[in-house]
Amino acid sequence: MAVSAGGPMIAAAQSIEGFVKTPEGQPISDAVISAAAVSGSRPAARVGRAIVDQQDKEFVPYVRAILVGTEVIFPNKDDIRHHVYSFSPAKKFELPLYKGTQAPPVKFDKAGLVVLGCNIHDWMLGYVYVLETPYFETTAANGHARIADLPAGTYEVQVRHPRLPEGAAPASQRVTIVAGKDERVEFVVNLKPDVRPRRAPSRASDKYR
Amino acid sequence: MRFRRFQTRVVVFFVGLLTLLSASTLLAVSVAVTRNARAQIGAELAVGGKVFARLLTARTQQLADSARLLSGDFAFKTATSSDDRATVLSVLENHQARIRADVMQLVSLDRQLLVDTLHPGRTGLPFSLPDMIARAERRQDASTIAVIDGRPYQMVAVPLLAPLPIAWICVGFIIDDQVAKDLQRLTNLQVTFLGRRPGGGLTALASTLPGAMRQTLLTLLPDASVTDDTTLSLSMGRGEYVTLLAGVGGKADGGIIAVLQRSLEEALRPYRRLQLVMLALSGAGLGISLAGAIFIARRVTKPVLTIVQSARRVERGDYDHSVSVNLSDEIGELASTFNTMTKGLAERDRVRAELERVGRLKHFLSPQVVELIVSAGDEAVLASHRREITVVFCDLRGFTAFGEQAQPEEVMGFLNSYHDVLGPLIFRYEGTVDQFTGDGVMVFFNDPIPFPDHAARAVRLALAMREEAATLIESWRQRGHKLGFGVGIAMGVATLGKVGFEGRFDYAAIGSVCNLSARLCAEARDGQILVSQPVFAAAQDLVDAEEIPALTLKGFANPVPAYNILKLKESNAE
Repeated sequence: MAVSAGGPMIAAAQSIEGFVKTPEGQPISDAVISAAAVSGSRPAARVGRAIVDQQDKEFVPYVRAILVGTEVIFPNKDDIRHHVYSFSPAKKFELPLYKGTQAPPVKFDKAGLVVLGCNIHDWMLGYVYVLETPYFETTAANGHARIADLPAGTYEVQVRHPRLPEGAAPASQRVTIVAGKDERVEFVVNLKPDVRPRRAPSRASDKYR
Repeated sequence: MRFRRFQTRVVVFFVGLLTLLSASTLLAVSVAVTRNARAQIGAELAVGGKVFARLLTARTQQLADSARLLSGDFAFKTATSSDDRATVLSVLENHQARIRADVMQLVSLDRQLLVDTLHPGRTGLPFSLPDMIARAERRQDASTIAVIDGRPYQMVAVPLLAPLPIAWICVGFIIDDQVAKDLQRLTNLQVTFLGRRPGGGLTALASTLPGAMRQTLLTLLPDASVTDDTTLSLSMGRGEYVTLLAGVGGKADGGIIAVLQRSLEEALRPYRRLQLVMLALSGAGLGISLAGAIFIARRVTKPVLTIVQSARRVERGDYDHSVSVNLSDEIGELASTFNTMTKGLAERDRVRAELERVGRLKHFLSPQVVELIVSAGDEAVLASHRREITVVFCDLRGFTAFGEQAQPEEVMGFLNSYHDVLGPLIFRYEGTVDQFTGDGVMVFFNDPIPFPDHAARAVRLALAMREEAATLIESWRQRGHKLGFGVGIAMGVATLGKVGFEGRFDYAAIGSVCNLSARLCAEARDGQILVSQPVFAAAQDLVDAEEIPALTLKGFANPVPAYNILKLKESNAE
């Protein structure tokens, strides 16, 4: 499911195993762990396409990290129309009522957080983290994510999450990777309360599922 | 001691008692009803308070819903996210008019007032209700009642979601007298909204009360005394108001106080009519009991007064009346007892008078006769009547000459001893004394006590008197006085009865038989007892007698046959 990163020019490939948890030790899913080379050097990564689905009136995945410049397509897998929009400064866009794959891909050409909404279903909430580095991964339910294919070097490893405070600099750790050795990074973070709008009760939802 | 009329006391007691009873009943009922009314009002206020709170919640919900509708508008989101304030103001003004709200405001996430329909030109000021926003951040929406520009508004804040909150939409309805009136229609309570002045003190923001009473309410409610859910009793305007204070709106936003009131007087109005009826009934009861008390008192006092008057008459010695009280109670008993007593007194006087008469009867009747008359209970035996009697008449020969010759002391002395001798004899033979004067004595028999042997008794008396008189005369003859004793006895029908006047009357026999006995006595010589033919006939078995020549007597046309009694026959001697 990860965006393909890295390439044939990288001779050796190490990985960073990240783990995000709360102070109480609860694993945190949907956290984006990214690694950016301190040197600022960026591999000439190929910018691909990413997908954010709409299934059962939810954005799937809830959190999607992409490399800046990636085009995202928003397939509607429900049998009703959606109206996807964002007022985020990083990308303001609107895909008026559409079905299936009618909507054109949207190119995210500016790094930052893009919050997705649906004008019809106000509880529908999706996060797209537009990153400058191709090295990133999203934690699974067990709080773990593995960033693979990293060349040796020193990296600024950061974690992002919808329930981490906005505006402030993301939690980060500097990690040096030597050839042939994988690293482990652990983040302990406090999450804000989940303030997602409640889903409107719908008798229809069962029928459409 | 002061004389107090019984009637007054009875009336005062009963009327007083009933007044006391009525008053205490009225008081007890009044206290109970008032307490009940208070409890009822308390319950009404509690219910009213709940209805009130529910209505406010419903209004809040309605406000929130209408605000949320706007928050879903994509154009509005677009305008807001592009910070197009002129367009946003226009949208808010349009929506405000549609939902008939009184204010709409847009507040940024950092609680700056972005757009305000009350002050279209104003922007960028800190929002006046940060507390509401703080609550909205926690719970998606929040409401309060707050004072804006001195007027109370019911405010609601909902987030503008895009899809995360990008601003707060605040909608407000003004709370004015019309709102208070609407609430009054639903709760049937007086509704007042009080606000706190910035410098302290309260102000009436909206009310169903008239202006003057709002002021009264404000003076009665010092700021310090105002706490939520307090029940008070306030005396204002036309009476007492039971009052419930309920705080509404957030305190941090300078929340206002709802004052719910119900007039005690109004709640008691149905009872007031009942009270009037009760008063009327009590008054009627008092009147009836007053009349009854007077009637009963008069029933007692009137006969008592009658008895008192009678007693006064009795006091004066007038027994000749009786009290007529036709009652079967104690008073009637008193009257009848009084009558009995009066009769008793009359009887006592009568008996006393009789005893006096008896005393007098003793002048002419033997003690036995007197006793008989007294025991018979009346003097009917002395009433005038005719009966056959035997009359004994005796006197002394030569007494007139003796009276002239002898010393008066001697004459009286002799007469006394003469009477002393004859008196007991008369009583012994139970004769009735007709005259007992000087030397002449007249006695008759068979009346008032009848004796079948009255003639015999007369003859025996005559013989006994002759014997005693002879002894007496003999003793006086030795002193030189020549006296003799003669007796005449006659028998016949005479008229008998009382003669004389009240206080001095005698029992006397009148008829020719009396004359005859006196004439026979006059004819008799010393020691002779001359009797008429009937006497002799009745007594001839008893005595020896000799016939004497018939006597020619004054007052008698024919010569009267007469007999001289000599002595008792031997067989009859005592």
